[in-house]
Amino acid sequence: MVFFEQLAGNLLYGIILGAVYGLATMGLSQIFGVLKIVNVGHGAFIMVGAYVAYWMFVLYSVNPILSIPVALVIGLALGLGIFYIVIRRLIGAPELASLLATFGIGIFIEEVAKFFWGPDHRGFSWNIGQVDFGITLIPNTKLLAFFSSVIIALILYMLFQRTRIGAAIRAVVEDREGAMVCGIDVSRIYAMSFGIGIAMTVIGGILLTLFIPVGINPYMGGEYTLKAFVIAVLGGLGSPWGAFIGGFIFGLLENGSYTILGLIPGVEPFSLTRFVAFSALLVILLVKPTGLMGGE
Amino acid sequence: MVLLKLEKVTKRFGGLVAVNEVSLEIKHGDSIGIVGPNGSGKTTLFNLISGVYMPDEGRIFLEDQDITELPAFKRAPLGIARSFQIPRPFRSATVRENVAVGAMFGAHGEKMSVDEAMSIADHYIDLVGLGDKRLELADKLTAVEKKLLELARALAMKPKLLLLDEVVAGMNPNDVDKIVSLIKKIKEEEKIAAVAMVEHVIPAVMKFAERVMVMNEGKKMVEGATMEVLKMKEVAEVYFGTSQTIGESGDARG
Amino acid sequence: MKKYIQPLLPVLTLYIVLLGAGLSIPGLWQPIAFIMFYVVLGQALNMFLGMTGYVDFGYVAFLGLGAYGMALAFSLFTDDGLGSGIIVVGFLMAVIFSILLSMAVGAIALRLRGAYFAIATIGVSEGFKYLIEGARLWGGSEGIIISSQLRDSFGSEMANYLSTFASDILIFAIGILAAILTVYTLHTRAGYALMALREDEDAAKVMGVNVTKYKVMAFGMSAVFAGLIGASAWTLKLTYVFPEDVFNIIYTVEAIVIVMLGGAGTLAGPVVGGLIYGILRYYLATVLPGFQLLVVAPLLVLIVTVFPDGVVGYIKRKLKGSRFSKYVI
Ligand SMILES: Nc1ncnc2c1ncn2[C@@H]1O[C@H](COP(=O)(O)OP(=O)(O)OP(=O)(O)O)[C@@H](O)[C@H]1O
Ligand SMILES: [Mg+2]
Repeated sequence: MVFFEQLAGNLLYGIILGAVYGLATMGLSQIFGVLKIVNVGHGAFIMVGAYVAYWMFVLYSVNPILSIPVALVIGLALGLGIFYIVIRRLIGAPELASLLATFGIGIFIEEVAKFFWGPDHRGFSWNIGQVDFGITLIPNTKLLAFFSSVIIALILYMLFQRTRIGAAIRAVVEDREGAMVCGIDVSRIYAMSFGIGIAMTVIGGILLTLFIPVGINPYMGGEYTLKAFVIAVLGGLGSPWGAFIGGFIFGLLENGSYTILGLIPGVEPFSLTRFVAFSALLVILLVKPTGLMGGE
Repeated sequence: MVLLKLEKVTKRFGGLVAVNEVSLEIKHGDSIGIVGPNGSGKTTLFNLISGVYMPDEGRIFLEDQDITELPAFKRAPLGIARSFQIPRPFRSATVRENVAVGAMFGAHGEKMSVDEAMSIADHYIDLVGLGDKRLELADKLTAVEKKLLELARALAMKPKLLLLDEVVAGMNPNDVDKIVSLIKKIKEEEKIAAVAMVEHVIPAVMKFAERVMVMNEGKKMVEGATMEVLKMKEVAEVYFGTSQTIGESGDARG
Repeated sequence: MKKYIQPLLPVLTLYIVLLGAGLSIPGLWQPIAFIMFYVVLGQALNMFLGMTGYVDFGYVAFLGLGAYGMALAFSLFTDDGLGSGIIVVGFLMAVIFSILLSMAVGAIALRLRGAYFAIATIGVSEGFKYLIEGARLWGGSEGIIISSQLRDSFGSEMANYLSTFASDILIFAIGILAAILTVYTLHTRAGYALMALREDEDAAKVMGVNVTKYKVMAFGMSAVFAGLIGASAWTLKLTYVFPEDVFNIIYTVEAIVIVMLGGAGTLAGPVVGGLIYGILRYYLATVLPGFQLLVVAPLLVLIVTVFPDGVVGYIKRKLKGSRFSKYVI
């Protein structure tokens, strides 16, 4: 019975973390959906978000939720900068070029972070009480992260469905040439989409710090690149909303399997869940490469 | 004898039905033209026959063998070759190497050596008139030359069924005439069992095809003897929305 | 025969010059061995990335598995009196491990198209590292140290010779083998199939090329060479294997940079790329110790955006049609 209580508790935690995972993946899917470019350096932008949260907290005592606007600005600037310097040249180039370029960009950002802030793990603790759910205790900070993720995802949804920019982006996704003929400035849409995609990722990184008390370091992103790919593929690569749902599924899978793997004697369940995540990725790609949620 | 048989073949892209329950028989000896307005599903039909896409419904037979599920690379050795509407040469390779790949992996059989393939390639390069571009990178060819390269590549595969997707589009009327004659000649000399040609250039279709199939919005509209079909008012209407017949006009896209 | 020898000439000449310089000029052996490692690493990855245009972000896993293969041979069979045969067993295990992983990954992931394949491979080396650590395989995160077994098998003098000299010579040998195999492949049906699928996979399929078969083949070949490099350049040379080191993503990045810098899919490309990169890296290690990637990563971005053909790809295009073109492929 203890096991089931533990499992239930971990699953609840999985849903809460899953919302943040989902948000942190939407940018990846958004960029792929519009530009047809896989951002292999995705995790590096999560890392940037984590450092934003850290420095805002440590230097200015601003808590991560209030740092979200800062992340938005930094993310947009970073995304637009990278778009105009590099990505712009890769639209329509062979896939290999964009894969390698985004890979290189990600590593470069990590190295810059290491250069300035060193390789050490950092963390901060923001404590504002917790809620007792019976099966488990969840800190309020994590609940805040959960609600922020859901709200931001909803705002984005509105943005896409209700605004002209959103309509233009959807038009480009549907039919690039057609959109061009209709007078949509496709290259501006690409820039916007890339900028917004990176900004969402940086914001996701901010919220993730509320789940990893001491895990902030230049190389933390690699793990999230992998997770984001699993999630994005779950949700049908290219669909930000699919990715958001995929985040929940992944959160549940990860935390459920952690509980179960913990029953096996003599193993490190933490490392093994990552192995499971990777295997899941391969299996999904093989069975239904367009994602569980995706169409054909 | 029936070479290729399509039975109610359907292909959807999301909500769009690009090819809708099309049935067609191509017999040994056939020269068939396929016409229809832009977006009517002609290229998609070729993609289904050559195995680029798998149909959602319906079946495809090549000489009694059901090839519906067969991947593209297994269809080529059975004798299906096609050209691409928008040429897709191997850009960093020479014209000769491009055509040689067709000879190596087409219907000549697994034993074909690289050297043999090169000499077969030379034959077809000369035939389509690209002889002096043999060692040029495919990248450097003009649009028309790329079309000819597509043709040579497909021919080098030693096909039974040759599918040509708008090879003469963009050529001047003189060249159109020359290429159509060439294709007719090659069909005889190389014993290609059947050629299907998608074309908007109606004079080319009239000169080449004995039979025509008209497609509209994914469906097969009519099929029959070339001149009779092209004179039909309905056919003109799907093209122009008027009743001027295509036979009188020239290029069906107007 | 001539068509194989001509393009090999510049490559083999370079090897002989490097070997001669290293052996005759005091103090130059270690730097040259260091550079050769990158040259051969580039050649190994080129067999896959260069020939197919597919990128494997988990490539380092094959180096790692090769290293483990050799290390396991020593930790399992030292007492069996195999003599120097144990090295052969080690290489054999390295090769088998690499082939097994490449088949497992290849059979699944290589059915996927470019981006999806790349995504799948991101997890491979990470997944493997976590499997070794998580399931406490092969010494878990503590790794395997074989220095005492090396001494037991060969005596301390010979063991020292092995790790400071013979292992480097082996890298040269692997490089020569890789060059020969690359030239041979480029001239066979397989070479043309790979060219075709790299340029346009759909067109290749329609023309009868069994793309999955040739991709798996290239992947396996590339993996085997990575395994051989891992076995000699790590295990024999350093005499230990730690998962954190041998699965370090930096080697994947470096290998990709070398291939792209020199010119993907060419014979001489990775050799030239490896040479340039090796020298650059040698100086970076003294100027910016620990921050090589700070320079290497933007270099990669720069190459793919403004110089995608690489050095040899560029030269090859320039030489097209001249009488020197036979020497540069
Ligand atoms: N891969 C695809 N994904 C989505 N839609 C597609 C795809 N290929 C074709 N279509 C759609 O299917 C329809 C039929 O296209 P197809 O290319 O077969 O037409 P076509 O008759 O060859 O036209 P054209 O004369 O312009 O070449 C079009 O509406 C096209 O947009
Ligand atoms: Mg068409």
